[in-house]
Amino acid sequence: MENKLHVKNLTISFRTSNGKVQAVRGIDFDLAKGETLAIVGESGSGKSVTSKAILGILAGNSIVEGGEIIYDGKDLLKIPEEDFHKIRGDKIAMIFQDPMSSLNPIIKIGKQLTEAMLLKGKARQKESRETFDKYLKALNNRMIDALAKDDPEKAKALTKKCKDFDTFEKKHIELESAYNRAHQAASDALPEIDTILFEIEKKAFTDPVERIKQVKKLALASINEWMVTGAAAGEVRTATETIVADTKIAKKEGDWTAVYENLKILRRVLAEALSFVQPNFFSMGYYLTFSGEKEIPKLESVEELNAFLRKYLDDNFMLSFIADAKSAIAYSAEASYKEMLEAVICLKKYRPVFEAEKLDKKTSMEAYQILAKEIMETVDCLNIVKDSMVYTFGSGLRSEIETYFHAIKKNVDEVARYNKQKAEYDRIVAKGKDPGGEVVPAAVTDLELVRDNILNQIDRMIAHFGKLVDNKETRDFEAETVALIDFLKENASGIVNKITKSMAKAKAIKLMKEVGINNPRKRYNQYPFEFSGGMRQRIVIAIALAADPDILICDEPTTALDVTIQSQILELINKLKRERQLSIIFITHDLGVVANMADRIAVMYAGKIVEYGTSEDIFYHSAHPYTWALLSSMPDLDTNEKLDAIPGTPPNMIYPPIGDAFAPRNKYAMQIDFERQPPMFKITDSHYAATWLLHPDAPKIDPPKIITDRIARMKERRAEQ
Amino acid sequence: MSNNAETLLRVENLCQYFGANRAVDDVSFEIKKGEVFGLVGESGCGKTTTGRSIIKLYNITSGNIFFKGIRIGAGIRSYQVAIEEAKKEYKEKIASASPEEKTRLANELKKFIAARQNDIKKARFDQKNCDKEYSKKLIQEVKEKYAPLLANGDESVKKDYRDALRKAKKAKLATQIQMIFQDPIASLDPRMTVREIIAEGLIIRGERDKKVIDEKVYQMLERVGLVREHASRYPHEFSGGQRQRIGVARAIIMNPELIIADEPVSALDVSVQAQVINLLSDLRHDLGLTILFIAHDLSVVKYFSDRIGVMYFGKLVELASSDELFKNPIHPYTRSLLSAIPLPDPIYEKKRERIIYRPLAEHDYSVDKPSLREIAPGHFVQCNDAEFKKYKAMLK
Repeated sequence: MENKLHVKNLTISFRTSNGKVQAVRGIDFDLAKGETLAIVGESGSGKSVTSKAILGILAGNSIVEGGEIIYDGKDLLKIPEEDFHKIRGDKIAMIFQDPMSSLNPIIKIGKQLTEAMLLKGKARQKESRETFDKYLKALNNRMIDALAKDDPEKAKALTKKCKDFDTFEKKHIELESAYNRAHQAASDALPEIDTILFEIEKKAFTDPVERIKQVKKLALASINEWMVTGAAAGEVRTATETIVADTKIAKKEGDWTAVYENLKILRRVLAEALSFVQPNFFSMGYYLTFSGEKEIPKLESVEELNAFLRKYLDDNFMLSFIADAKSAIAYSAEASYKEMLEAVICLKKYRPVFEAEKLDKKTSMEAYQILAKEIMETVDCLNIVKDSMVYTFGSGLRSEIETYFHAIKKNVDEVARYNKQKAEYDRIVAKGKDPGGEVVPAAVTDLELVRDNILNQIDRMIAHFGKLVDNKETRDFEAETVALIDFLKENASGIVNKITKSMAKAKAIKLMKEVGINNPRKRYNQYPFEFSGGMRQRIVIAIALAADPDILICDEPTTALDVTIQSQILELINKLKRERQLSIIFITHDLGVVANMADRIAVMYAGKIVEYGTSEDIFYHSAHPYTWALLSSMPDLDTNEKLDAIPGTPPNMIYPPIGDAFAPRNKYAMQIDFERQPPMFKITDSHYAATWLLHPDAPKIDPPKIITDRIARMKERRAEQ
Repeated sequence: MSNNAETLLRVENLCQYFGANRAVDDVSFEIKKGEVFGLVGESGCGKTTTGRSIIKLYNITSGNIFFKGIRIGAGIRSYQVAIEEAKKEYKEKIASASPEEKTRLANELKKFIAARQNDIKKARFDQKNCDKEYSKKLIQEVKEKYAPLLANGDESVKKDYRDALRKAKKAKLATQIQMIFQDPIASLDPRMTVREIIAEGLIIRGERDKKVIDEKVYQMLERVGLVREHASRYPHEFSGGQRQRIGVARAIIMNPELIIADEPVSALDVSVQAQVINLLSDLRHDLGLTILFIAHDLSVVKYFSDRIGVMYFGKLVELASSDELFKNPIHPYTRSLLSAIPLPDPIYEKKRERIIYRPLAEHDYSVDKPSLREIAPGHFVQCNDAEFKKYKAMLK
């Protein structure tokens, strides 16, 4: 599965007046596409800090001590704030814990919801245009390089082919998005009509004029050449007209039969239209652009039309285009491999520069520049999956080198400061006075270590290229070609699709409805203080979803909500995850909520991940005493015995414990737990836990009875069903 | 808990309207001495308002609240409505009646109105003076108790008498009902030390002896799992769980008979939640407390309560013992609520389907209005005649 996010050895501290609080102490995890990772732990375990680091919104007194967060080929801890604007909220969105403080109190809800959509709409159009042009140009160049090196005629033909692709691709998108809009309107109208019909039956139809107006708007919007056309369109028009007229009368007289009947007609027409097969707009776009015909031929059914268009497209263009693109990609990959081999030679050549006892600033910087350039040349311009190692190599190397030379200067200063203060201190002590404090020891950076880091980075790069070249044979250019063409299509749709204010409003109201806000039209124009806590939380969720993010971070999204709403919101998040292939990081202290959501769970305690596994691993075969404690401290519907509360409080992270941080609260703790930190023991391929209990020499301990009992009960219940 | 235990709190047809918003609408229930009564429902359904009406943070719109048999809350709205309706009814009757009938009817109406107005007067009086009545009763008791002792004329007895009398004068029935609030951060005054916070109620009640107060504060701190040294600190120095413990200590120092716990654990971490729940259940057994437990976490309510009432939009829709409610949920809203509970079982969870409650589709109350009816011993459901039959059949 494709990994969206890597977090490696992330370490974060906070400066406070009492000392440095070590909030996160070296955690690693991956997040795959379409996966939900739950991070579970008590407050103060560092789970929120982790999520804030991913979003680049750490508090001002935070220090990122090390590690990397890699997303889309970039290390989020190192990119400048300007670049982060493109990612934050757009690609990575967050649902905050506290709905009171995450909404602007003086801006109306509607504006807060649509603001991002409108801004993003503009930005996306521009960005899509750039990406599309860049990749199509690269493809064109590579095609010429691969197939028509010394043949200007053929090169011209290839260029034309790419240009054609560009032209009809946009035509296709226009047709398709018109169809989609109509389709969307019809599918929005149907449930609304159903509700109104139902309410008329029950004699509880409220706010008729406004809602009928809405239905009319949707019904008329669904008229489209390929959906509601000809006679059906006429029917829709007359039906809506009569409904609007009848509603006015019915409102006075109270007889809704006429409206009811006409709504039924409207419903039938729309439902029928929605069941039609969708024509293939891609080939239609091509046909209209190149066949010289103004109209699509009238055929018996949409299936036949699709087959006809498809054949026309394949015969004339697509097959040859795909073949050409494939050879271009293969050629480009081959070129990239060649560059890699060269890069490896270059890396090996310049490695000795950094092996020296003492680095020379001028040669080091020169070596860095050459290496960075060489490495960037290995980038395959047609590969849509970005290789994060290649992209981060240059900046990483540079920052290490800078650290090295900065440290040389700083170390001298620091030692001088220490000596001076120490002398002063000794003088006061010698006088017999109280110096009123200690001398802060000199913070000397270990130059050896920095140098080793540099060498490590170079070695890692060499190994990485070696691996890529070795795996050359396994690449599937067929699939990559399809992926590239899909990628281009996606960007083309980004260029064509504009977002207007009214569209944004419609989308916002739909989102509000989706998250369960009644009467969204009225609510749209209200201020946050007019909403209750639960309602505000829903608005926050709607805002996060409005941007259509890649990764969604949910920081205790339902803690403030009651069960029914909680369950609705979780269902909503799950649904969106399925539909949009969203990757989710779900942060909570409530393991009960997680069972429904998570594919994998990481249990955090005192800034470290103590257990890591699939949700089945954690709930049925948990291994760490802290996970046991969490599981046994929450009651379920069958619990009668006294709850196993965790005694004590989490440790003070200014002075983190030497051994296992959970040891003082752990009734299964052994002597070694207080002395040494346990490593991650592997239990199965997907399941890891950091506890000495898993060491082969440790005594065998069963999980607490309350958990084993519960698992047995759950098994029984499942068997019954 | 035996069935014939004394009824501590009785709520009769409680209504609490805020303008057009019917936050609580015709809710009735009883709480027996020593039991935990859970009140569940989604946010905004009126469960907190019910709790606050009982402790008289609001003046109720209509209905009666009896605590230990004394009416502590009374609304007048229902009487006013009755008067208006009677006026309308008699107007029609009088219009069509013969002359001698007319005077008879007019007199009847007058009598009826006078009776209701008397009720209103009484309700107003009770609403205002229940504490005075209670303290009068206590003063009477103190006087009777000390009358023979005072005759001897001992100084120390006289001092005791004065003390007891002062306390009786200041006694309020409402202090026997204490509340634990949801948010442990917002419900403690940040400028008061823990000692001041916990002792405040005692001082208001008339306790003057510093030593006694301190001793009691220390006792309470230890009771809730804190230590004496905590008494001189400020609330911000404590973690969430510890703050909630301070809230509990503040409530139980008054020796209350009834505690209204309004979502006492929903703002806490799971591990701390367990600590507070364990504390409350220990206190309940040791001090024999009666608790009205308001929460939205059904697992916790189930674990903690003897009987549970389910509220939906201001109405009590179902009321039963907690085992019965979870075994045989009858009302569609209760079923929908129970189907939403998350369980720590991933395989089961992935298959779980939530039942959605659509009041309009479920009920047809256009003709036959619903009321709370007993469907099985101790199991009440809001339904009308047709539904009553249907639900009864479901139980069999």
